[in-house]
Amino acid sequence: MVTDVIKKLNTAVAGAEATETAYAERGYNISISASKDNLNKIVQFFDDEKFYLEDMLCVDYKDYLEVLYFFNNYRFLCRTKVALRIDPANPHVATMSNIFDGAAWYEREIHEFFGVVFDNHPNMGYFFLHDGIDFYPLRKGKVPVPPEDKKRLSAFNVEEEEDAFTINLGPQHPSTHGVLRVVLKMDGEYVISAEPVLGYLHRMQEKMGENRGFMQFLPNTGRMDYLGPMSFNAAYVCTVEKLCGIPVPERAQIIRTITIELNRLSSHLLWLGAYLADLGGLTPFLYVFDDREQINDILERITGSRLTYCYMRFGGLYNDVDEQFVEGTRAFVKRLYERFKMYETLVTKNVIFINRTRGIGILDSEKARKYGFSGPVLRSVGIPYDIRKVEPYAAYDRIAFDVPHEMTGDALDRYMIRVHDMEVSLKIIEQALDMLPEGPYVTEKVPKKMKPPKGDVYHTVESPRGEVGVYIVSDGTDTPYRMHWRVPSFSNLIIFPYLAQGTLIADAVSSLGSLDLVIPEIDR
Amino acid sequence: MSMTSPSAIIKGAYSLITGLGVTLKTFFMPVVTVQYPRQTCEIPPRFRGHTKLVGDEENPDRTKCVVCMACVKACPSHSIKKIEGEKKEGEKKKTCTEYILDFTTCSQCGICVETCNFDALAFSADYNRAVYTRAECQFDLVKEYEKRK
Amino acid sequence: MNEIINIVGKEVVRNVIGLVGVLVVVVVNVLILTWVERKVSGHMQRRIGPKEVGPFGLIQAIADGIKLLGKDIITPEDVKKPLYFLAPIVIFIPVLVSFVVIPFDSFLQVKDINVGILVIFAFSSLSVLSLLLAGWGSNNKYSLIGAMRSVAQNIAYEIPLLLALLPVIFMCNSFSLKDVVEAQKGIWFVVYHPIPFLIYFIAGVAETNRTPFDLAEAESELVAGFHTEYSGMRFALFFLAEYSNIFIICAVATIFFLGGYQGPILPGIIWFFIKTYALAFIIVWFRWTFPRVRFDQLLNFSWKVLIPVSFLWLLITGGMLKIL
Repeated sequence: MVTDVIKKLNTAVAGAEATETAYAERGYNISISASKDNLNKIVQFFDDEKFYLEDMLCVDYKDYLEVLYFFNNYRFLCRTKVALRIDPANPHVATMSNIFDGAAWYEREIHEFFGVVFDNHPNMGYFFLHDGIDFYPLRKGKVPVPPEDKKRLSAFNVEEEEDAFTINLGPQHPSTHGVLRVVLKMDGEYVISAEPVLGYLHRMQEKMGENRGFMQFLPNTGRMDYLGPMSFNAAYVCTVEKLCGIPVPERAQIIRTITIELNRLSSHLLWLGAYLADLGGLTPFLYVFDDREQINDILERITGSRLTYCYMRFGGLYNDVDEQFVEGTRAFVKRLYERFKMYETLVTKNVIFINRTRGIGILDSEKARKYGFSGPVLRSVGIPYDIRKVEPYAAYDRIAFDVPHEMTGDALDRYMIRVHDMEVSLKIIEQALDMLPEGPYVTEKVPKKMKPPKGDVYHTVESPRGEVGVYIVSDGTDTPYRMHWRVPSFSNLIIFPYLAQGTLIADAVSSLGSLDLVIPEIDR
Repeated sequence: MSMTSPSAIIKGAYSLITGLGVTLKTFFMPVVTVQYPRQTCEIPPRFRGHTKLVGDEENPDRTKCVVCMACVKACPSHSIKKIEGEKKEGEKKKTCTEYILDFTTCSQCGICVETCNFDALAFSADYNRAVYTRAECQFDLVKEYEKRK
Repeated sequence: MNEIINIVGKEVVRNVIGLVGVLVVVVVNVLILTWVERKVSGHMQRRIGPKEVGPFGLIQAIADGIKLLGKDIITPEDVKKPLYFLAPIVIFIPVLVSFVVIPFDSFLQVKDINVGILVIFAFSSLSVLSLLLAGWGSNNKYSLIGAMRSVAQNIAYEIPLLLALLPVIFMCNSFSLKDVVEAQKGIWFVVYHPIPFLIYFIAGVAETNRTPFDLAEAESELVAGFHTEYSGMRFALFFLAEYSNIFIICAVATIFFLGGYQGPILPGIIWFFIKTYALAFIIVWFRWTFPRVRFDQLLNFSWKVLIPVSFLWLLITGGMLKIL
């Protein structure tokens, strides 16, 4: 499959020079170095081949800037890295947002952090750095921000128009769950357009990654997605393990699987409660907290923490589990099966709930590809794409499980996907508990100070919200040269303006809730 | 999916009534909340509180810390502000006399505990550390050890 | 004492005592209902609810009242002051008046007016005016949307509310609440008119802006709707009016369908309060079980289901009365 793509590309685009790379080491199958002339053709090729834009980032190599496009598809594993070198003195690239809508947001992010200007981009406004910056933060040297770029800082200020009014949904609003701000242009109760404004929780995690040792960055990962820290821990730890070639003992792999799934359960449960609260039903929120507390108790016993677990270590885990953990988890799994029946009666079958979600915010598979959303939102449009199946990490390749998917792509389907996801998680936990072997929980002789070899690596895991991608460039020192995070909430939010357009404000809130956004993850 | 057809109304009403049954049943179930602060939860042994210095078994007057500064270098947030030590007579290793932890920036990640080669650091189970000023967040772990002893 | 009564007249004294009584009932009712709401919601969510102030947290509501009274009265800068000030008062006065005509017992009624139910409806219609004043006067977009919603909602739901009562009024040929209760000596009207009772109750929940019909304050969409900009004692007046409205809706349902103060052994007033608070419990129960309906669904339900059905029932009742 991969070789077919390479062959096709090399014939379709002259001078594309696609080469196959070692997937096990690099995390991507094909590497292409593009030039400004053939970039458009290459991106168009991947659009024609029904690939989706997985990620987009930039690396400053001092002599040149490298803009990277990662493409992948839902049918077979073929991650492709397209690298475009540009002159740092004249950083101009043609925008790809006319082909992949999702690129618009990634390009804005790159522009903000690197000063790369994407020509013909519909809106180069800033996302995160509203207070103004003097230098581009992720450039290696001190590159001053030109005055015309500084003007864009106030680009998110809204102007009043006749026959419409604007309303700020957030940053302090009961249903944006954190500090997301969406500027809604309204006509009565109808939303004319929605424009998310991000950055109220921006901490520049990617820059922090460049300034800290590999081990020192580990606690930060849990602070990006505070509801799914296990997945983020795993994403980072697996990436560094891939980069340094550290083996992981079997027992650690199984425990990783169990804890990641427990965390996924707690995340989905909280989402369920919060979504119902968005729709006005407050009681399920308390019920899910009752269940979630049980997970927190189980995980607190082994990790020492209830929210930012920081449980994974390079080559294993922070601590071993004991018999009580196994028994406690088994008891919890049994309990949750019972509770699902209650949730079904209280929520899933409730006619008011069904009428608030069915047919709301409908998405389709073409939109999925163009905007690049992932996770339960993607599976709700009928694509059974799950990183746990496609690129198994931890012990997922040894466990049998289905990938639930629905067809309609509305808010009700996104709800159903997450409910089924929880059932799948319970099955995975049950199997993993049976498989739990004796043995060490961490590899011996992992150096305290990591010094990975030169090179780059991409790794993805399936977080409760979707695909988390970590891209690390190592220059052989003890700190990463560049660390990039592809976070699912960010790429899922890109679709929201489309979803909200022309709907009632109540439906916009319902759609927003069904995307399951975690704001610190979007803002990083 | 018309909401107004008779069968839809009856089906919908049934779903609402079963929903009411769930909350009514819960109404008579015992509460699950803990009446903090009248009741408190048990703190698990691995609980990650702020760090504490561990006493030397042989000589309870001193801690295990030998002022090697490894934790200072390892801390990602530069929260360990100052470690002072002196060499007492008749002892091979340095004794820690002052260990300032800035709790305002510490995120209890535990890298210092894992880095320590002398097992001199551990997590305390103390979670009641709300204070009114930033200055009170500068914990001197040696003094805390003295108090505990 | 007799001299004073002779000077000012019996009727005036009766009215003054009645009004004071009504005020007491209003305040005590709010204390009870808020306590019930908190305890019920608490236990339905496996929490304990208020427990610190007084035995079982019984006087928590008083503590909250004192807190609200003690709060600084904040007037946002850009509000339209006369409307903003007027709204909490306008919502509260009609509530007081409605209590005047309610027969708590055969002898306990401030004033038996022969158009009692019309008085209640006329005055409770005023509350929507107050919500509109609050929404417009607050000069806040969320408040305004909330106010617009509540106007549409109240218009849609006042019709089935009254239509559901008409069959009962047909049967006892009187608008006086006391006559209605007296007509139920034998069998409660809920037996003859179960569907109008349901319609009345659903419309009543909508009329009081309670979940699942709390669109005017829908906190996850409109922050707090029409009372977003109100705080302190002004907010307390809205709060008082909301719980008093629940009482009135339940009291009218009790009077028209559940036999009012009629009941064996226990005194009438006890029966009246038992029935009224049982209905109030159901309204509280609804709130802690259901999500909120959408605005257009709410209106559709009223215009397409409640109003046609109540008309149909009215026709049948009229026909039956003519034949029998």
